[in-house]
Amino acid sequence: MTATGDTGTAEPVCGEVRTCLLQTSLSLTASAAEELLRLREDERVRLSERPNLHAVSPDVLTGVDCRLPTGSGARVRAIGTVAARAVLTEGRVLQATAYFRAAGAGPEQRQPWGHYLVRPGVLEPFGGLPVRAVADGILAGTRQAGELDLGAVSERLLTAVLRHQLLDQRPPFKSRRTRLRWVALRTRDGQAPSIRRFTLAADGLRTVELRVPEEIAPAAVAGLCEDLALHDWLLTTLVRMVERSRPGSADGYAVVTALRPAVDHLLHLWMPRARVAGALSPLWEVLEREPGFTRQWQTLVQRIRDQLALQAIPLPREALTAR
Amino acid sequence: MLVFAASDKGGTGRSVTSANLAYRRALAGDDVCYLDFDFGSPTAAAVFDVPGALRGIEAGGLHTYLQGKVSEPERIDVWAETEHEVLRHRPTGSGNLVLLPGDRSGGEFAVGRDALRRCVDLLLRLNAEFDLVVVDLSAGRSYAVDMALEATSRPAMRGVEARWLVYHRWTRQHVIAAAGLVFGDRGIVAGGVDRGHDAERLRGAIRFVRAAVPDPESPLWSQVPPPQSAWMRKCDQDLDELAADLEAGFSMVLGSVPLEPVLQWREQLITDEDVLASKVANMETRQALEELAAKLTDHESWGAT
Ligand SMILES: Nc1ncnc2c1ncn2[C@@H]1O[C@H](COP(=O)(O)OP(=O)(O)O)[C@@H](O)[C@H]1O
Ligand SMILES: [Mg+2]
Repeated sequence: MTATGDTGTAEPVCGEVRTCLLQTSLSLTASAAEELLRLREDERVRLSERPNLHAVSPDVLTGVDCRLPTGSGARVRAIGTVAARAVLTEGRVLQATAYFRAAGAGPEQRQPWGHYLVRPGVLEPFGGLPVRAVADGILAGTRQAGELDLGAVSERLLTAVLRHQLLDQRPPFKSRRTRLRWVALRTRDGQAPSIRRFTLAADGLRTVELRVPEEIAPAAVAGLCEDLALHDWLLTTLVRMVERSRPGSADGYAVVTALRPAVDHLLHLWMPRARVAGALSPLWEVLEREPGFTRQWQTLVQRIRDQLALQAIPLPREALTAR
Repeated sequence: MLVFAASDKGGTGRSVTSANLAYRRALAGDDVCYLDFDFGSPTAAAVFDVPGALRGIEAGGLHTYLQGKVSEPERIDVWAETEHEVLRHRPTGSGNLVLLPGDRSGGEFAVGRDALRRCVDLLLRLNAEFDLVVVDLSAGRSYAVDMALEATSRPAMRGVEARWLVYHRWTRQHVIAAAGLVFGDRGIVAGGVDRGHDAERLRGAIRFVRAAVPDPESPLWSQVPPPQSAWMRKCDQDLDELAADLEAGFSMVLGSVPLEPVLQWREQLITDEDVLASKVANMETRQALEELAAKLTDHESWGAT
């Protein structure tokens, strides 16, 4: 943890990521993933196959000139561009992130667009930036009309990808989306990164506030948050799947049918930190201690395996008597 | 699966029956959502007994969403927000039951390209989340029906299973009107074909539902004099023949719901409590609703006709 009193002033990075199951019966291959995420002609999709298949679209920019949400009610106008990208893990889980870096201060007048276009993914405030107020505003549950809505930007991108003709809209199971809002304030002088809060609210909304050294690129922070969101989604989805399977109920066949998709489509996706920049990976260790992501995951996985093993036991006997 | 609920006329029992089907499926463990696309009179919320939404909500409902004024339409968790005494106790093993209400002053509106895209996005999204998505459409060949036909004809929706229930009452006029809504020159099949649907497939995805059907054999009429009883039987038989002639006969019918005194008096969900404990509603009604709910996804009821 950083010393109290540290306000992490300079240039926060803010974002929102939405996570969902890709709506196809089979997970996509690397080349299909590349086609799905080719959002721009002039830039390539970044693909990597180790330690898992991971595809990242090029950033698409949205120009904005609007108020930033603030916790204090202060009116802060900002101009620039928000970056958005889509990410596909193992051809199965789709995420869309909208994010920006806020400049600590900006010109008091609106500049020609060229000024903003050479700073992709940067928003400049008119005058100074009340960092704490903006961080609180971004993490808050509601948006006023006319305020920057990162969720709407990521939602638009996610929805556009989900409309793609490559998708047969026959997913192996029903599932919900989750949203993670995040803010990373900057630390200086070699202070280690830290997590200030991580909250789970109703409606699948999560918020996280980080402290991150200022030399770490906004895209790397977005990558960390995508990794958090991915694993949070996996946990949320698996918990619900186990609940719905009604373990212990009389209908063993129904239990198997309900849990089978987890084995086929989810269990191999658990790989925390696979895509997190080295300097940020200690943050995961914090979450592993509290709330203990992997511990919960392993408990669920064991439960699923036990259920499936139990259901398998009577089968040979039935088969024998049937002869 | 998407289920579109249509009817040629208002007052057929479309909303009340569809809401009961949604309820039955949620009780059985499915995650179900109910969309009030009855743009003329968004009343579905009243059936679920959710407050503040009796005649559609003030704003932020489906109309507002389709017009692009909000990025997501309002959702009402029926189990959590209902004022119905029985519904408030969510049974274990039940699925989610979510209502997407219409706006109070929505009214019918022409569907432009943007509204259509939003409709497709919404249906895709709900289909990803819910086992069953029930869409209550305005009566007649309305904009709501057009939008449903158009949305389901889009390439993005090709893989999404969609079925149509066409509700009618058990009278001459209603049978003729319902058949017209399906097979007429300006009917659902013709309108679908215009939009690129395959005629055979679309026909195979449509079934009639007879609502509020008086059963001449029911105890309700056991006291009537013989001539009256004979007359009722004859009418019933004539209607069966008429329906068959109009291709709205047996093989095209998913089910019928008997005339239910409780529903005659009040638009509501028929709970097991109503049937078993207070006994205000008839067992036959519950039975019919349960069978109909099961048939929504039953393969045998939906082979090509
Ligand atoms: N099976 C039934 N028996 C008796 N009345 C019914 C039955 N089903 C519906 N009703 C009643 O008929 C009226 C019209 O039903 P409603 O669902 O509102 O029709 P629609 O949505 O087609 O306009 C309502 O008062 C409703 O309670
Ligand atoms: Mg109605």
